[in-house]
Amino acid sequence: MTDLAAPLLEARAISKSFAQTRALVGANLTLRAGVTHALLGANGAGKSTLSRVISGHVRRDGGEILYRGAPRNVRSPREALDAGIAMVMQETSLAPDLSVLENIFLPDLGRPGRLSRPTMRMRASEILADLGQEHAVSLNAEARDLSAAQRQLVEIAKALALKANLIIFDEPTASLSPSEVERLFDVIARLESAQCAVVFVSHRLEEVFAISDEITVMREGRTVAASRPTSSLNQTELVRLMVGRDLGSIYAPSSVTIDKRGEPVLSVRALRAPPMVRDISFDLHRGEILGLGGLVGAGRSETVETLFGLRPRVGGEVLYEGRPFAPRSPTEAIRAGIGFVAEDRRRQSIVPDLSVRENLLLAHLGAHRGFGLGYGKREKKIDELMARLDLPPDRLSEPNLLNFSGGMQQKIIIARWLLLEPKVLILDEPTKGVDIGTRASIYAILRDIAATGAAILIVSSEFEELLGLADRVIVVSDGASIADVPSAYLDEEKLTLLAAPRASMERYRRLLQELANQCDGAAFWAILDDDRVFCLNTATANPKADPSLSAGSAPRFDETPISAALRARASDFVADPTSGLQSLLVDVRSHRGHELGSIGVVIRPDGAAPPAEAMRSAIQERFRATL
Amino acid sequence: MTQESSKPIAASTPEPTFQPTPARRFGLRSAPLELRMLALAIIIAVALSLLSPYFLRTNNLLNLLDQSVSVGIVSIGMTFVILTGGIDLSVGSVVGLTGVILGLALHHFSIPVAIALATLSGAGIGLFSGLLIAYFDLAAFVITLGVMAIGRSLAYIFSGQTSISDIPPQLNDLVYTEVFGIQTNVLTLLALYALAWAYLTYTKGGRTIYAVGSNREAARTAGLNVLFYSVVPYVVSGALSAIAATLMSSQILSIDPLAGTGLELDAIAAVVIGGASLYGGRGTIIGTLIGVFIMVIIRNGLNLLGVSPFWQGSAIGAIIIAAVLAERLLSPRTRR
Repeated sequence: MTDLAAPLLEARAISKSFAQTRALVGANLTLRAGVTHALLGANGAGKSTLSRVISGHVRRDGGEILYRGAPRNVRSPREALDAGIAMVMQETSLAPDLSVLENIFLPDLGRPGRLSRPTMRMRASEILADLGQEHAVSLNAEARDLSAAQRQLVEIAKALALKANLIIFDEPTASLSPSEVERLFDVIARLESAQCAVVFVSHRLEEVFAISDEITVMREGRTVAASRPTSSLNQTELVRLMVGRDLGSIYAPSSVTIDKRGEPVLSVRALRAPPMVRDISFDLHRGEILGLGGLVGAGRSETVETLFGLRPRVGGEVLYEGRPFAPRSPTEAIRAGIGFVAEDRRRQSIVPDLSVRENLLLAHLGAHRGFGLGYGKREKKIDELMARLDLPPDRLSEPNLLNFSGGMQQKIIIARWLLLEPKVLILDEPTKGVDIGTRASIYAILRDIAATGAAILIVSSEFEELLGLADRVIVVSDGASIADVPSAYLDEEKLTLLAAPRASMERYRRLLQELANQCDGAAFWAILDDDRVFCLNTATANPKADPSLSAGSAPRFDETPISAALRARASDFVADPTSGLQSLLVDVRSHRGHELGSIGVVIRPDGAAPPAEAMRSAIQERFRATL
Repeated sequence: MTQESSKPIAASTPEPTFQPTPARRFGLRSAPLELRMLALAIIIAVALSLLSPYFLRTNNLLNLLDQSVSVGIVSIGMTFVILTGGIDLSVGSVVGLTGVILGLALHHFSIPVAIALATLSGAGIGLFSGLLIAYFDLAAFVITLGVMAIGRSLAYIFSGQTSISDIPPQLNDLVYTEVFGIQTNVLTLLALYALAWAYLTYTKGGRTIYAVGSNREAARTAGLNVLFYSVVPYVVSGALSAIAATLMSSQILSIDPLAGTGLELDAIAAVVIGGASLYGGRGTIIGTLIGVFIMVIIRNGLNLLGVSPFWQGSAIGAIIIAAVLAERLLSPRTRR
């Protein structure tokens, strides 16, 4: 670490407002060459805005930026690129009609002079090889056909092609599988040793500790901790800095237990709506909060939009209150008692030319049958809701909802649906761009209405929010539901591993299958807690050796036929006294040393166990190769 | 994250805090659009009355109202269409075509039946454009441009390229019967404006039209029938064009296949001067009425002042551009 090096870039007292919203009020950031800097903050803290100011995508209102010691006014992304500042965007900025190759060199297309395709092709292959991804994506593919992870990869390649000396990664891992994250971290380490300043924007604290040297924390548009060495901070302190208080308190505890929950109100079986939704099944019960978890781009939003009648369904069955349910439009879904808070407020929820009151009444208008407005009969309920959501009633008469803060906007949109007293309320990223105070009250309201018997379905990319809020999580990967887990058994790490895209999961499954075949038994990949085994994947070659685990299940040790082995965690095969199954557990980690659970091999009672030591090193080796 | 929209809150308070309401200012910016436009209309009227003593005479004022009727009625439909973010270039030729249909129908049917036929065919043409635009997601500009050409061509063909003059003189009553001292055609205009205003303000359909124009995706997500209410404005526009054609024909007792030529531009201008946004979602029916009056007053004033008709186009055009520019500069709506 080069603590004493002069800063490469210094941003001082940056301020920026969008309309009535002050996104940045005095944000500071100091970056040094060869240092990986984590920029942290809750949703809406201003991390993205600050990154975009530095990379020239957004022009600041005030403050100054020093680059290599001299004031520098970056007025456009072009100027930033010329100065060697590149940003890997969170929402990818690829041109969908261009090829991967053209996208990687898109910034060069804006420069005068000729481009040589063979040279471009060679350099692109080099960059992808550097990333260890030369086979992950074809240079000729059109960007529109790429998966979320592939797009992210192209974005990163694009930044590397510029040979920038300052690269900002804005939540680069939101759509990556764990092995892809590992590879990205390798790239960042390499950039660091090449004296590049790296900014890593994320809200996954685990990753921040794994990769960063320094941390800057933002809250509500200002810097609350600047350039602290990562080693001097722990997770609790970080959360307190980000949130301003302890986060645990913002989630209201659940009042339902899994066994006391009500009837299923919505049953989804093998739902299909290509290209994003391929095979989704789950049950949503009265009175529970169910989460749909997974990586960005896994098809969660598309799933809920299909259920709500916003997208055509191709296959599968949905039962709503016991009857087949196939809404062809949101109107039908709404009239049946379903509410939907969409992900993108500006695009899908807010009608800027209607008053705040009419925005609140918009779903009522959708549900209303008749020629008139029928606003009158909702008056009482509106007053009630406004009180419950801590919204001052006089603001309802304001003409433009866009003048409200993100949190206030979201409250109005949620109130829009609560007004109809829905039986099922679906919320897609309900706290995107919402401040912490409002988040807490949104969580409390959702708990309240669940307690009155409504069923709530939540899509969230913030694993921590999903785990804090939901009673149960359905894990979605590449358009398929792959696990149904009570959130009490989950943590962020398990969710991350479970949510890996199907392609990488398939590689693990093949490894397990090979192991199972090899010893004519079964193999599984799991994370072991003190008394529970959380299974990520299994493969069985011989049914007599089946440890009866399934992906996403989390039985207590003594509920499995291999409890002795799970408890012992011995270095050799352990035969279970009850079932007789012999099992070996091998801890696996990535080549960066990151722990990734254990691989278990199970052999039938009368089978001959191979030598444990050889098996262990073989498994560890093959697992690393699989990553 | 285009809407990184945090705002400062006190760090440790669980209650949400609120941004201060934007300071209310009095004056041009805070006044509703209609009032600003009304002020503009009055300023123009006062200026003209100073320039020409004839301007404020009762005769001239009645004349102004009379001249407002056809462009005014067509502008109602245009307002509906523009509110959804569309445009209807076909109104002028629909006036021509439905006028011809009225004239031909009068040869075979009674007056009420003929008027009903003309109105229905106007609505039918609107339905045709609307369905194409809404269900096939085609550009309103292109579809109505096509319908405009077809309409005018059919008007010539049906009329045999000449004007139809053998129509019953009783049609005159539709225009010149006076109620409370006001001509029926002016009353019709005002009644249609009242109806349109009530529809846009107090009905589900009216509010849906605004919502569709302002944010189609949000309207759909909230369960509004976006497709249906994207078609309705074109039907209304077609039907009102036929009514305008009927009143025009009744006034002069002659039907010209050329009638209504250029009317679409006057109507669009009136709606835009009235404060509507061509992007949809913004505008009012009262504003449109004021826009119509501003257009008619200026034409009338220029005539009174003896300005060459060749210069009038420049004057009207300059005023349209000025109105839109002023609206953009004064608008409280914020932009990046």
